[in-house]
Amino acid sequence: MVRIRASAALTCLGDGAATFAALLDGRSGVGSLPHIDAGSVNVTCGYSIDGDAPEPGYGAGGLLSVVVASALADAGLDPDTDRVPVVVGTGLRESRAIERWAAGERPVELERLHFGAAVAGVGGALGPVVTLSNACSASGHALALAHDMVELGFANHVVAAGADVMAVSMLAMIGRVAPEPTRQVRPFDTRRTGVLLGEGAAAVVVAAGPAGDGEAELLATGLSCDASHETIPDEAGMVRAMEDAYARAGVRSADVDLVVAHGTGTEQNDPAEARALRRVFTAPGRPVLTAVKGAVGHTSGAAALVNVDVALRAMREGRVPPVVGLRTPIPETAEFRLAGGEPGHTPVRLAQVNAFGFGGLNAVTLMAAPGAAR
Amino acid sequence: MSRPVVLTRWAVCLPGLPPGTTFEGWAPDDVPPPERAGELLGRKGLLAKEPATRLALCAVHRAFGLPERAPRRTASDLSPDTAVVISSNLGNIATVARLSTSVREEGVRAASPLDAPNASGNVIASTVAIWFRFGGPNLTVCSGHPSGLDAVGLGHMLLLSGRARRVVVVGVEPRDATADALLTDATGEPGVAVAACVVLEPEGVGAPLHEVAPVSNTERPHVVADRGDDGRSELDTGSDGRGYGAEGVLQVAVAAAVVTDDPGVRSVTAVCGSRTEGFRSALVGSPRVTLGAA
Repeated sequence: MVRIRASAALTCLGDGAATFAALLDGRSGVGSLPHIDAGSVNVTCGYSIDGDAPEPGYGAGGLLSVVVASALADAGLDPDTDRVPVVVGTGLRESRAIERWAAGERPVELERLHFGAAVAGVGGALGPVVTLSNACSASGHALALAHDMVELGFANHVVAAGADVMAVSMLAMIGRVAPEPTRQVRPFDTRRTGVLLGEGAAAVVVAAGPAGDGEAELLATGLSCDASHETIPDEAGMVRAMEDAYARAGVRSADVDLVVAHGTGTEQNDPAEARALRRVFTAPGRPVLTAVKGAVGHTSGAAALVNVDVALRAMREGRVPPVVGLRTPIPETAEFRLAGGEPGHTPVRLAQVNAFGFGGLNAVTLMAAPGAAR
Repeated sequence: MSRPVVLTRWAVCLPGLPPGTTFEGWAPDDVPPPERAGELLGRKGLLAKEPATRLALCAVHRAFGLPERAPRRTASDLSPDTAVVISSNLGNIATVARLSTSVREEGVRAASPLDAPNASGNVIASTVAIWFRFGGPNLTVCSGHPSGLDAVGLGHMLLLSGRARRVVVVGVEPRDATADALLTDATGEPGVAVAACVVLEPEGVGAPLHEVAPVSNTERPHVVADRGDDGRSELDTGSDGRGYGAEGVLQVAVAAAVVTDDPGVRSVTAVCGSRTEGFRSALVGSPRVTLGAA
């Protein structure tokens, strides 16, 4: 058995607790685009953590350090004495540092483009550090590998983490295809206008053994690759990841009470994700569906673990935050209860977290609530 | 120690070497340079593909022994149990630098939508998956110098955890002005254009790959063949140790070739990494052993 001993998150709305409180209030953290000339990329808005402060040299590594240190402290582990492997998932690594170097703004250190140095700064005993560049499902993949490392006995504790900030090269791709700049991410809405990036990081400490008091059991993360198109998602690949997760966890889709969806608010993702969910959830009494990117933006490689943090809090508190930005749901979600309005008491015993990335990279995580007997 | 898996296929592409170059116990595969990759892969589908992606495709193509310009796999041929693990630190770095510069100078219209996949560092792994229809877990490792053996180790783990029945591991780095500048600044010398592929399976005939693990009692990357009473000798991987994120996979591919070719070699130990980023070690055993399922 594998459990989650601690979880930490950092978004434009604050740490994990502040983010969850803001989500319950239905607040959006969208603001102006930080650090980057909005006109040049045709993207005017973003979900930044500290957009008014001077731009750090290595933004993602800075956020990563905060969440890794926080999660380790909550788990009672000492990063200077406890040897804990760390798997970091990222969409863009420190691409922004390369861009500023290419512009002649500041030098770049090769070793800081990935995250060994940032993690070493948290504590000298941490490692080995593996950086996964796995697009928007990167930290879901990191979680799957951390789970395997613990389950196979390679380590007693493993940190899975994710971190990303914004980069011109990715913003330009968003701005290039947008008829007009998006002002608010609106997951699963008929009038959604596309995605915006969010700065964010999240980390969990995964450990061997049965879940203790207040700890969630990490049941499984299913993985798949669409192997079909570089940028257009394929619902068949998403379904394979979900079915892999159910098989590994030994549960049925009917056991799932809550789905924290990927929900990017893009033309392609939301209908494909909803169709995949419809193919998997065929029994009556379908789960509650929520999504957070309307509130915190698309935190790219951190998104899966940001969703995990939200799901853990929803299980603990029995409340599911509404989908910020959603007014009129797309018809593909008709059979699901989309979280909205004032969050009432919603018991969640088993939660599913979806993460889907560029290149058709799919990671679907299942967790059981503290104290939930299976 | 976890159980070994088997290296069943391998290929090494070093397009910067003169054609026909050989090394003691092994020889690189014959591949065109990235800009002429269509001569091996067929031209269709290579538009806007970066040099690192093209090199990786060539390495997988050669590892599977496919004929030149072999027809692409079709939608019905999906292998859901085949995983892809890529190790590359610099694969799309030149594109990121170029895109940001052109957008800053000319605005968003300067960004071609064809470059969209290249803005994401996982483009090599997803392209390999799409090209060969490998639908299993898809990972891109970019951990710096130890990255190559990290990728091999994760491939090993994907088999142990039952996430895949076959893992295609590719280490690849491009040679371009951006990569040269970054590597020269950090290490004092530029890198090499290289792609190496190894295929891991849980059982079958091939060279056993034992656990990949961190090591600390070393100062530099190396590959050493153990010839028993005849002693130990260092192997030349053809990269002069400058394969960066590709180096670990290159070492394992060379190790597999040498233990297969030379009956006097009992095993090969590969070590990659750097003093600041740490070292990893892998042990490749004699191929004259058939491993059954554990």
